[in-house]
Amino acid sequence: MSKSDFLNLALEDYLKAMLNIYDSEKIIKVSEIAKKLNISKASVTQTIAKLKKLGFVNQESYGPVTLTFTGMETAKRIRDKNKLIKKFLTEILDVDDKIAERDACLIEHVLSITTINKMYEFLKKIEKLNDENYFGKINIDAKEEEIMETIKVKTLKELGKGHKGKIIKVAAKSAIKKRFLEMGVTNGSEIEITGIAPLGDPIEVLIRGYKLSLRKSEAADIFVEEINK
Amino acid sequence: MDNKKKEKIFTIALVGNPNSGKTVIFNNLTGSRQHVGNWPGVTVEKKEGKLFYRKRIINVIDLPGIYSLNAQSEDEKVARDYLVFNKPDVVVNIIDSSNLERNLYLTTMLLEMGMNVVIALNMYDECNARKIKIDIKKLTDILRIPVVPTIATKKIGMKELISKIYEVMLNPSKCNLEIKYKSEIESDLDFMENMIKDYLTDSVDYPARWIALKLIEGEPELVKQIVKSLPEIITNKRKEIINNIENSSGEDVYVLISESRYDFIKNIIRDVIIHDNEESVTSVSDKIDRIVTNKFLGIPIFLIIMFGIFAITFKLGDPLKGWIEVFFEWLSKIASAGLTNLGAPGLLISLITKGIIGGLGSVLVFLPNIFLLFLAISLLEDSGYMARAAYVIDRFMHLFGLHGKAFIPLLIGFGCNVPAVMATRTLDNKKDRLITILINPLMSCSARLPVYILFTGVFFKKSQSLIVFSLYILGILLAIIMAFILNRFIYKGEEESFFIMELPPYRVPTIKEHFNSYVGKRQCLY
Repeated sequence: MSKSDFLNLALEDYLKAMLNIYDSEKIIKVSEIAKKLNISKASVTQTIAKLKKLGFVNQESYGPVTLTFTGMETAKRIRDKNKLIKKFLTEILDVDDKIAERDACLIEHVLSITTINKMYEFLKKIEKLNDENYFGKINIDAKEEEIMETIKVKTLKELGKGHKGKIIKVAAKSAIKKRFLEMGVTNGSEIEITGIAPLGDPIEVLIRGYKLSLRKSEAADIFVEEINK
Repeated sequence: MDNKKKEKIFTIALVGNPNSGKTVIFNNLTGSRQHVGNWPGVTVEKKEGKLFYRKRIINVIDLPGIYSLNAQSEDEKVARDYLVFNKPDVVVNIIDSSNLERNLYLTTMLLEMGMNVVIALNMYDECNARKIKIDIKKLTDILRIPVVPTIATKKIGMKELISKIYEVMLNPSKCNLEIKYKSEIESDLDFMENMIKDYLTDSVDYPARWIALKLIEGEPELVKQIVKSLPEIITNKRKEIINNIENSSGEDVYVLISESRYDFIKNIIRDVIIHDNEESVTSVSDKIDRIVTNKFLGIPIFLIIMFGIFAITFKLGDPLKGWIEVFFEWLSKIASAGLTNLGAPGLLISLITKGIIGGLGSVLVFLPNIFLLFLAISLLEDSGYMARAAYVIDRFMHLFGLHGKAFIPLLIGFGCNVPAVMATRTLDNKKDRLITILINPLMSCSARLPVYILFTGVFFKKSQSLIVFSLYILGILLAIIMAFILNRFIYKGEEESFFIMELPPYRVPTIKEHFNSYVGKRQCLY
């Protein structure tokens, strides 16, 4: 699976790659992740920062990366999701192994947990599944659904003019977080980017019916899930 | 009892978001009977005035414009402390009707405190323009406090507002609206509330629920200031509750409390706003913004307006400055002549002419520039453009560790540093303000030019103009370096600087309002 297959590597791919590196080498180095995903170390570092804020990884300054408990669980589920889809494609639809591998990598980003569970149940029913390999049926638990959904987020900085999003997490330092809260920037509120200053920074957003401006560096702390208009 | 009430001088406090028209209402209530000073120990302006109604004198205090009572910035701390420790008889909460949702956040915090609130639903005409209809009766019923629609700039609704304030003043109702917080917090909050009722007996003046809330929200110092000492059983339980909530929900308690308040507000909005067409109406403000913050026109427009301010301050102000200088010279001569005739000793003559008259003159001589500058700045602020100016230039300023709003003070510094430093009051953040003030003198003011010319004429005759120019540039470079050093090393620990700033709708500033405030501001300088 290479970068050319799709435009943006999802956070899921990072977690999957990290888990694989962990299994074979125990130590997750930024350089290893970059090699595995075929991207620059700089891109990896940026995303690690994001994953850290979301609570999936930990990293001592410039040291190796470690997966947190949540990160580990999520990564395992993502890997199993991938394995499950691949199994479904090869066993049921008789798709060629290499193609199934590539397709599974793409499909896993868009399929809902409900559908994946149905695949699981189907494969179990016709006895094509060996339980020991799998992390278990993916439970449709509210929190898990949240975690899985969280992986499809962007920061407000990346959202782009004219785009709308729903705020998932405000991961700022406490002084700035309090400022955000008093201005109405809270989890669950809708936010739309309505403009950018002539010099490229700050940006203007529409929130709770009024216009707010903030620097891109401040917007980078706000995680949103994009909503289609 | 009735006699006592007649004797008592009541105090009302005005509280509201910035840009909600609070100043206009303050002017409407107090007219010219206002006085501007300073809150002790901080650089926040204090505005007080008097209102005459039904043969009573009522003190009116205008608290700084704030978004919440969190006590993070100096403004918020001043307002919060005043409300908690001075306990005004009535709090008039001024709300921008076209922005009800965010404005109500402050309202919920006032209600939590158990204050006697009267709401002035200001800028009510803008609702019609934006096709928003607010069900005032329903809002009054839900919040259980009087709600008066007002259009302060046209003096509409003021009579009803004053009469409602008067009513509440004489008959304070303990409405005690209880906001329900998120389920993770509610039961613990109740428990803490009961503990406080049992263990703290000297805090009867404040709602137990509010004290419990403050303890859990993370403000034990505030509570200690009220009750002097907290029994250990309460501090222990408090730590336990905070740990429980944060571990199970994964979120800080104050975040959950904020969200609860917004949930409460969302329910109100749903019931109270009848028509909201924010999607379809591209307001006049948006249209103006398309030009003013335009990628190509934005900076040129900004530069033209900045030049305009510079021109008003100095081109208009300098002639007036000249007159004042002439006046004081004349006064000095007359005094000197007169005193000599009376046979006064030389030392006394010197004291009066050079010391007193000369001293007074050298301070008053800045008055025209300062007055004009403040007038220009406040017109910009009230029209709403000031926010856009900061927005447009911030990236450039931030490169040097400065805030967008620092542009004007630094620009004016090239004319004269005195009004420039005073202009830094537009900066909300203390750290930004301090740094801008400290580097201001590095902007070569106009008084230095003759000195530069004199010295370069003697020592650098060949490349005079180049050297003078480089002196200006040197000043700017040094300012940039100092800003960096101050930011990184000296003021590292101060309250975090941020830009997050509202872009208020454009409004037409009324000149009359400004003269009123400026009489006040002039008083405060001296």
